[in-house]
Amino acid sequence: MSEQSTLTYARVNEDIIRMLDKPTVKWLALFIPTLGFVGFGLFCFIHQVYSGLGVAGYRHPVFWGVYITDFVFWVGIAHSGTLISAILYLFRANFRMSIYRIAEAMTVFAVLTAGLFPIIHLGRPWNFYWLFPYPNQRELWVNFKSPLLWDVFAVSTYLTVSSLFFFLGLIPDIAAVRDKVKDVPRKIAYTVLSLGWKGSNWEWLHYTRTYLFFAAFATPLVLSVHSVVSWDFAMSNLPGWHTTIFAPYFVAGAIFSGLGMVITLTVPIRKIFHLEEYITLDNYDGMAKLIIMTSLIVGYAYGVEFFLAWYSGSPYEWGQFYYRVTGQYALFYWIMIVCNVIIPIPLWFKAVRRNVKALFIISIFINIGMWFERFNIIVISLSQGFDPAAWGIYMPSWVEIGITVGSFAWFFMFFLIFIKTLPAVSIAEMKEILPVPNKGIKGDHAG
Amino acid sequence: MSQDKKGGLKRRDFLKIIGVAGGTAAVTGACSEPVEQIIPYVIPPEGIIPGLPNYYSSTCRECPAGCGIVVKNREGRAIKIEGNPKNPINTGHSCAMGQASLQGLYNPDRIRSPLLKNDDGRMKPMGWEGIEKNLSERIVKARSSGKSGNIVFLTNNISGTLGTLVDDWMGVLGGTHLQYETFAYEPLKEANKISFGIEKIPTYNIDKTDYLLSFGADFLETWLSATEYTKMFSDMHSVKDKTVGKFVYVDPRASLTGTNADQWVSIKPGTEGVLALAIANVIVNEGLSSNSAGGLRGLLSDYSPDKVSSITDVPVDVITQIATDFAGAKSSLAIGGGVAASGTNATQTLVAINILNYIAGNIGDTMDFGDTLSISDVNSFQDISSLIGSMNNGEIDLILIHGVNPVFTLPKSMKFKEALENVDCVVSFSSFMDETTELSDLVLPDNTFMESWGDYFPRESVKGLIQPIMTPVFNTKTTGDVLLSVSGQVEELNGRYTQTTYYDYLRDAWKDILPAGDFDKQWKKALEDGGYYEEPATVAASLSPAAGGISFPEAEFKGEGEYYFTAYPSYRYYDGRGANKPWLQELPDAITTGVWDSWVEVHPDTAKKLGIRLGDFVSIESPEGTIDTQAYVYEGIRPDTLAVMIGQGHTAYGRYAKDRGVNPLDLLPVSTDELSGGFAWLATKVSASKTGKHAQFVQTQYTTTQHDRIIAKSVSLSALEKGLHYEEHNEPDFYPPREYHKYRWGMAIDLQKCVGCGSCVTACYAENNIAFVGKDMVAKRRDMAWISISRFFEKTDDDAGFRTIYLPMLCQQCGNAPCEPVCPVFATYHNPEGLNGMVYNRCVGTRYCANNCTYKVRKFNWFTYKWPEPLNWQLNPDVTVRSKGVMEKCTFCVQRINHAKDLAKDGGRDVGDGEFKVACEQACPADAIVFGNLEDHQSNASKLSHDGRGYKALEFVNTQPAITYLKKVVRDKA
Repeated sequence: MSEQSTLTYARVNEDIIRMLDKPTVKWLALFIPTLGFVGFGLFCFIHQVYSGLGVAGYRHPVFWGVYITDFVFWVGIAHSGTLISAILYLFRANFRMSIYRIAEAMTVFAVLTAGLFPIIHLGRPWNFYWLFPYPNQRELWVNFKSPLLWDVFAVSTYLTVSSLFFFLGLIPDIAAVRDKVKDVPRKIAYTVLSLGWKGSNWEWLHYTRTYLFFAAFATPLVLSVHSVVSWDFAMSNLPGWHTTIFAPYFVAGAIFSGLGMVITLTVPIRKIFHLEEYITLDNYDGMAKLIIMTSLIVGYAYGVEFFLAWYSGSPYEWGQFYYRVTGQYALFYWIMIVCNVIIPIPLWFKAVRRNVKALFIISIFINIGMWFERFNIIVISLSQGFDPAAWGIYMPSWVEIGITVGSFAWFFMFFLIFIKTLPAVSIAEMKEILPVPNKGIKGDHAG
Repeated sequence: MSQDKKGGLKRRDFLKIIGVAGGTAAVTGACSEPVEQIIPYVIPPEGIIPGLPNYYSSTCRECPAGCGIVVKNREGRAIKIEGNPKNPINTGHSCAMGQASLQGLYNPDRIRSPLLKNDDGRMKPMGWEGIEKNLSERIVKARSSGKSGNIVFLTNNISGTLGTLVDDWMGVLGGTHLQYETFAYEPLKEANKISFGIEKIPTYNIDKTDYLLSFGADFLETWLSATEYTKMFSDMHSVKDKTVGKFVYVDPRASLTGTNADQWVSIKPGTEGVLALAIANVIVNEGLSSNSAGGLRGLLSDYSPDKVSSITDVPVDVITQIATDFAGAKSSLAIGGGVAASGTNATQTLVAINILNYIAGNIGDTMDFGDTLSISDVNSFQDISSLIGSMNNGEIDLILIHGVNPVFTLPKSMKFKEALENVDCVVSFSSFMDETTELSDLVLPDNTFMESWGDYFPRESVKGLIQPIMTPVFNTKTTGDVLLSVSGQVEELNGRYTQTTYYDYLRDAWKDILPAGDFDKQWKKALEDGGYYEEPATVAASLSPAAGGISFPEAEFKGEGEYYFTAYPSYRYYDGRGANKPWLQELPDAITTGVWDSWVEVHPDTAKKLGIRLGDFVSIESPEGTIDTQAYVYEGIRPDTLAVMIGQGHTAYGRYAKDRGVNPLDLLPVSTDELSGGFAWLATKVSASKTGKHAQFVQTQYTTTQHDRIIAKSVSLSALEKGLHYEEHNEPDFYPPREYHKYRWGMAIDLQKCVGCGSCVTACYAENNIAFVGKDMVAKRRDMAWISISRFFEKTDDDAGFRTIYLPMLCQQCGNAPCEPVCPVFATYHNPEGLNGMVYNRCVGTRYCANNCTYKVRKFNWFTYKWPEPLNWQLNPDVTVRSKGVMEKCTFCVQRINHAKDLAKDGGRDVGDGEFKVACEQACPADAIVFGNLEDHQSNASKLSHDGRGYKALEFVNTQPAITYLKKVVRDKA
């Protein structure tokens, strides 16, 4: 950010808090259809609960389909938020400053979305709370051997920590907004949320220590949550699932898809709210490099899976992987390869990394590719298990598609509310990287 | 109720609770499990203890075989059918059709009261008194016309007391009683008359042979007495002293029976007879005959293998090899006369087979005329033809139809339907609104055999009794009672019968049947035994010289098409009567695994020529009509033959049968067997063409081979003869081995015995309240069967090119079950007796267990499936009815295990081996399934589990199944 000089502490406050002005027609034009899709998703879910899970496309032997794909997809998206806010914070990577708030919000909303799917996919969703180990008179307890239970803990822990972390980072900014807004209801709301923040030295001292502590606490979660999700598959005995590389493979994939989603989200926001000076090309360059790295890891994992299947000498493993590239689902497999391995290749060139349009297009493909990766792992493996007599083909129904679309709308709904209610770029941290204002040269009311 | 007596819960309180529970259910709506009302007996009937079943012996009337059954009754309702071990025909076994007869009893489309056709052609319900009066008036009217023989009583084979009553009735009224069976096996009778001078159908002692040669006799499906012959076949074909009997099947199509053969000989349709003669020729020429062949030498010399080979398309070396084996076997037998293989020369073919048996010295040894079948005595096809003629001529004024559906089961070309229109009054006694009953003027619905008194004599030595298992479901009445009641209103018959009820009539009739002595005691014993069984006399037959005197012409075919057309009877629907039972519709066909529909079997070469693949619609055209049905491409049929199953294509007969599939009888011209006059089923040539329409071929298994995975294993005969040793596989395990005390339930399944008939599947549906889901759901692979038969075709290098192996797949009750650790809520768990328990109430439906199941035997309730009233009356009260969102699977009939343990506990002992049977084991006609306690090392199951042929499916996953499969024995290439 060295070359820019027009930004001042005051402009940061103004620019960012301006985003929280009354919703424009454009915003409403986005928000109302989003609500509509959420409503449709809800309708699909109610229909499914009322009629039975059969309205989804499930069939023997594919007992998991789009819902679990969506779950893993959204958990994956949730990952790069914490990666950007916590890990990069610990590494003092400055390119995170402008985007971490958006990434964190994305994390929280993605976990909120992901958390719906294990319930949506249940045969009897009204009994979902049986998965929580709490003392009860029914003498029910949970099975700690089951990876699904580990999921419950992993996801709920992650949601708790990422929400707190998100809120913690917001406190000084909410205080800044509180000082700015005039109308009474918002004033009250921001006053409560700012927890009486005054910006004193003493507060900053404790605040920064807490933030560091949270960052350190959240970091292992980035690795553990998706490892646990991957064990849903790796701990089973199904050919195509039962493999030791799943944890690193899934974590890399999660970061890969999360970065893709960050780019997909920030590019339009940057454009609409004219944040070019905040979210700079240097920031994108840094993210694109991370994408290259994770794309390579994911590509390597695809190759290793094949090698292991062949090297195992097991007709079951090899049959499964041969089927992936040649069977009924081969199209999906090749979509995944093209999106995740081939399309990111241009990012090796600096010109592409600094071309926002190109990045946006690539990020969309990454989102698609990573969704299909999860679909392929889940559905193709289930489709051809050990016993050929049980093989079968699954395709999603309109209910599953409706709920998936609804889940995207649900995510964007939160996001749209977020950018209108909370500072989408961290005011406090942006100021950390600005040159310190000198008395007498510019106006000096800091937040 | 017991709570009442103890003063615990008052009835009033109980009702309050029920009321509150019901109200809550109404509020919570969709998210709660359906609440069921509990209706206790206010005054319990005598002899019924709630919770304890009563068993009644009876006789199955689903097909003419007449197997003995034992029906389980709980709280006044029949809920399960099992074979009667005392009956010498089926010796405790049963078939899918028999199991499914409960769905006839509780069929929602049964006729619920007597009906009378209005002037506007609509059926109107009526009371019994009125309809009986109406019937008697019609009889009087028909009698008053002055014509004689204008009343006809058309029934199925009702050999027994009802037959006598009807005969007597018609005798008085000057009418005729015709017994019509769709599959009457007339050529068998005629051939035996020619060959032995006995116009009867004998019993064949298949079990006593070690070489069985079948010329199109589908004895595992419909031929004569399928359950009985399946058991006999299992005996001759199973492993005994390191060897197995050999079975060769000669037919244009490898039917279910054919796929169980060690060798399938594909033969040109209608040429089986000359093949039999050629085999006899080789035997005589090689000097292998046990007798001098008498005057037959001359005849046989015309049938040299070379010449016959060119007629039949059977290679010379196959003919000589069969001849050598046939004559060389200790005891051999050739059989024939399957419906699908009966052409215009069917009788000659069977005479040729008799000659072959004679040459090999099998007459009297493996063929027994001491116990002939009553189906030998039904009326001939010619009688039915002339009946149609009389009807058309207006000679018949009144026809009474009982137990048959000729509009459907007679080929359309016979025009029975049109003939029926010329009859003044048609009376039907059918329980179902079938194609014939639809055209009736009066319907007096009969009770099903589970609601009525009766008897049936399937063969000389077996007199089966039928007793009501429960009160009639609907306002129906036993035909015997109707006849007696109407008799009182018809002048000629009034006072002829002293009995007022058919029960009394039956009892009186049985006074002549049962041996002398205390009748009441004898009668009670007969009821308990399910009938009266005599030791059959052995009557040996000797070949009459006439046999050699007939000529053996080629079969004639009508139609100009290039394909022979086989309409084969179905082991699930028989002649179509099974089609209204959802269990049978949903029972996958053994070969195609297709359900709820018809299809045409097409050879791959023919399919290529026609440009069709699986699921394409093919139009089949004969001079009589056209049918469009889906293609199943199958190697087990000749390229010049097409085959369609009989039984589907109903235009009436209730919701499950109507408008489903096609009826191949629509294509058959009126052709008869030259000598017997019986209907020639295989006498049509058709043309076939692609229609361009395609649809998913709805089946339960979408693969045909094992893909090198060897789940169904086989062992060669030579390896078996050398001796096999059980290989114990012990994979290293992270956890200590499980220990069991007293019981570990296990099973052994002999793949050499399993014929793939699916009896176990239907028995399991009946026992365990498994929902039938319909064609649309099966198309999505959502069938709920806990046990299913996997069928795999394996390539071989013999002439047939493939062999079939059937493997019943069910929950393996693994010792180290992959489903258990992954369930987050302990809905599935390992019980101390080695069962994978499944707690429906705890299941939240994550379905992880099913994903992790190595054998994919878990089934999920995608919906709450409904049993239309009164099909739900059949539900087993000992088994939970599952609702949407829960997983289910085979429980090893845990309710039976618990019942046996309760009884053992009362007796202060342990459950002994064979004390009870699980449903699939009980039903299996081949005794392929043996269930028992593996901790008891003397138990049958435990011994078989360590058999040399034993192996566990997918052993390397280390699931440690409780089920041991015994490898199928395959012949080394000759």
